[in-house]
Amino acid sequence: MEFVNPEGLRLDGRRAMEMRQLRAQIGAVSKADGSAVFEMGNTKVIAAVYGPREVQNRSQQMSDQALVRCEYSMANFSTGDRMRKPKGDRRSTELSLVIRQTMEACILTHLMPHSQIDIFVQVLQADGGTRSACINAATLALADAGIPMRDLVTSCSAGYLNNTSLLDLNYVEDSAGGPDVTVGILPTLDKVTLLQMDAKLPMDIFENVMQLAIEGCKAVANYIREVLQENTKQLEVRRGV
Amino acid sequence: MRGLQVSLNQTQKIRLQRALQQLESLSSKVNVNASVTVADTIPVNFEDNILKGHGTVERDGELVATLCGVVERVNKLVYVRPLRSRYKPEIGDIIVGRVVEIVPKRWKLEINFSQDAVLMLSSMNLADGIQRRRTAVDELNMRSFFEENDVVCAEVRNFQHDGSLQLQARSQKYGKLEKGQLLTIPPYLVKRRKQHFHHMEQYGVDLVLGCNGFIWIGEHVEVRDTMSGDQVSNTEQQNTKSSTSTNYMDLEEQEQGYTPLETRQNICRIANSVRVLSSLGFNITVEVIMETVDLSGTMNLEVHEMLGSEFYVLVAEKEAERRCSSGKKKG
Amino acid sequence: MVGLSVGEKRFIQGGIAQDLRSDGRKRLTYRPIYVETGVIPQANGSARVKMGATDVIACVKAELGRPSPLQPDKGKVAIFVDCSPTAEPTFEGRGAEELSAELSVALQRCLLGGRSGAGAGIDLSSLVITEGKVCWDLYIDGLVVSSDGNLLDALGAAIMAALSNTGIPRVLVAASASPDEEPEVDISDEEYLQFDTSGVPVIVTLTKVGRHYIVDATSEEESQMSSAVSISINRQGHICGLTKRGGAGLDPSIIVDMISVAKHVSEQLMNKLDSEISAAEADEDEL
Repeated sequence: MEFVNPEGLRLDGRRAMEMRQLRAQIGAVSKADGSAVFEMGNTKVIAAVYGPREVQNRSQQMSDQALVRCEYSMANFSTGDRMRKPKGDRRSTELSLVIRQTMEACILTHLMPHSQIDIFVQVLQADGGTRSACINAATLALADAGIPMRDLVTSCSAGYLNNTSLLDLNYVEDSAGGPDVTVGILPTLDKVTLLQMDAKLPMDIFENVMQLAIEGCKAVANYIREVLQENTKQLEVRRGV
Repeated sequence: MRGLQVSLNQTQKIRLQRALQQLESLSSKVNVNASVTVADTIPVNFEDNILKGHGTVERDGELVATLCGVVERVNKLVYVRPLRSRYKPEIGDIIVGRVVEIVPKRWKLEINFSQDAVLMLSSMNLADGIQRRRTAVDELNMRSFFEENDVVCAEVRNFQHDGSLQLQARSQKYGKLEKGQLLTIPPYLVKRRKQHFHHMEQYGVDLVLGCNGFIWIGEHVEVRDTMSGDQVSNTEQQNTKSSTSTNYMDLEEQEQGYTPLETRQNICRIANSVRVLSSLGFNITVEVIMETVDLSGTMNLEVHEMLGSEFYVLVAEKEAERRCSSGKKKG
Repeated sequence: MVGLSVGEKRFIQGGIAQDLRSDGRKRLTYRPIYVETGVIPQANGSARVKMGATDVIACVKAELGRPSPLQPDKGKVAIFVDCSPTAEPTFEGRGAEELSAELSVALQRCLLGGRSGAGAGIDLSSLVITEGKVCWDLYIDGLVVSSDGNLLDALGAAIMAALSNTGIPRVLVAASASPDEEPEVDISDEEYLQFDTSGVPVIVTLTKVGRHYIVDATSEEESQMSSAVSISINRQGHICGLTKRGGAGLDPSIIVDMISVAKHVSEQLMNKLDSEISAAEADEDEL
């Protein structure tokens, strides 16, 4: 199948290095301490953060740092062909773990000992790149909850099809059998915190694809910073003194 | 925007936008430029021996924010004041909390902090008002002071070495809050002031603006003298016991004890003012609440209409006007 | 769940008795309702409904299927509800399973009628393409994003909004040679049929607290309920389904009384929803 036509356009009309449209909205769940909706094209994710609060299960309490927990869930209607999956299947468990580890790495957990932070991500619509969208949404929600962090983790994926490196794969491209490299970075520290790939790829091309994904992460980071900056400004302006 | 659960029509949208723009133009000179996002560098001169405060870390010779908020500089101290976040306690803060657990010699309270706060039996005024050692009998009677789920007002006493928070309630003004409703709003909207208890005499309402964002609005109660405190809670308990056992029999009787309708109306009006103001993200003080209540009165709105879109926009316009005129006075 | 002190409980009960609830509403007043349609573009129809701090999404997907042999002239509709842990940390893991199942079954009862499909709020025979061979299977999924009471009514409203947002592709069936053969179907990409929602009922839940009952209870009010009756009523004023929950028994005469009140309230709710839905669709068209 042809994923990039001779004019260099992809199936959804994007160029190879073009990202889908990003949209973010802070404050989607009124009861949560922090929440956000993040969209990458048709992929749409809600994240809600509860905490830092008293640890619910006392045996998990830690005296030197906060307990970070995460649950990933997918709405029944989120995928193209509707299926009813039981909660807690392997894929969601793995994703919950990945998101938790990625977020834990950037939260300054030692500042909130004896407490617990819950991150819930809910996929409303999946069209490729849910992993990345979840991490980006979680970052926004954590920032909205006022939880201290080292940096704003952002994530983006890239792939390689028809001898071309492609940024931010959608579902069709993702399921085409080519590699899907998901990268998460700490943009200001310039460190990679998450890296996953699921197919074979020559070294030099891999480097290329990873670099592309990193560029994507940086673009997401810029967007997220803008959103947060505007939100902080609005909150301060409205509060007045 | 957060909490906007009203659908605005076209003109209302424009009006709201205009009001918010006005607010923005008013505050453009102040703090706005000092707002930072996580991982932003805060410009400082390290030669001035600055002190790093909350929400900052030093990295590669630069001061970096770890929170979204506004940079504040007090003498040599530089810190980031967060906006939306859980409660950050300071000693002496007056807070409202809910009892979640009773353990030997202490109550644990949920106060929107990263842990439950602790109120020791020994930091409480006893019913007899005498300063003495707490006995085993006192310990057994802890539930006669506060039960689980009770709403309690107290003061932040100190931090323990392990980071947990101690409260105290050694004053007549502290203690159980009854006959009213509790609202929770983001703590950054409540400013620390001298006065957090407000008796609104014209309404017969007590308003407690807890620094932790828990707001109590209830029927006014006279500060009880030392003896009656215990009696009140005792009779209260008897009441509830009898009402559960006889259930429907004494509904009539029960209704006698309800908050008078007029007072209730005032409580709800005040509560809805707080709801509107907090969903708009405006600073909440007793003055602004009063103005909002008055506005709803002059508009002849029913209490529940205060949560509708029209009033929402009106409050925003009013606030813009208010800040505009107060700005002029200062200028 | 909701923990309230004795004083707060009495305040809520007193407010209901005096017809002035904690947020100033009367017993039969709803919170402001906000509707947004087309929130899930990949679906055939979708809507998000907010009532106060309650926030739910409903989504309709249509797939081609085979009618059940017992009812060859009817399509199939399935309703499932999920409660997201974003709404309440206790919904984590399997924490919401019971609630989800309760809501799903209540909605099925309110909208789909009995197993025979007769008396369903949703017209099942309109979903048939070729009798006994091909029909549409409608999958209606609800998701609770944020919960502050009255989930069932909100979900009902969201499903109604989602259905009126639903376009079902026109299907051309090629005349098959023999009756045993599978008919060939051709799904149109361009032509969509607007789903007919004139028969879809609204759900009104009356929550009984003390001697009185209220509509659109918040979760604090729900914690004080003795029992609740959910009634689904269509435009003609017919009852399509009914569920009573809660431990305390109700006098039959009170139930009859509640039904007539619910019928009256449902008309207002229906009108309110109609105007909100059309406003939402107009908004969507603008984008």
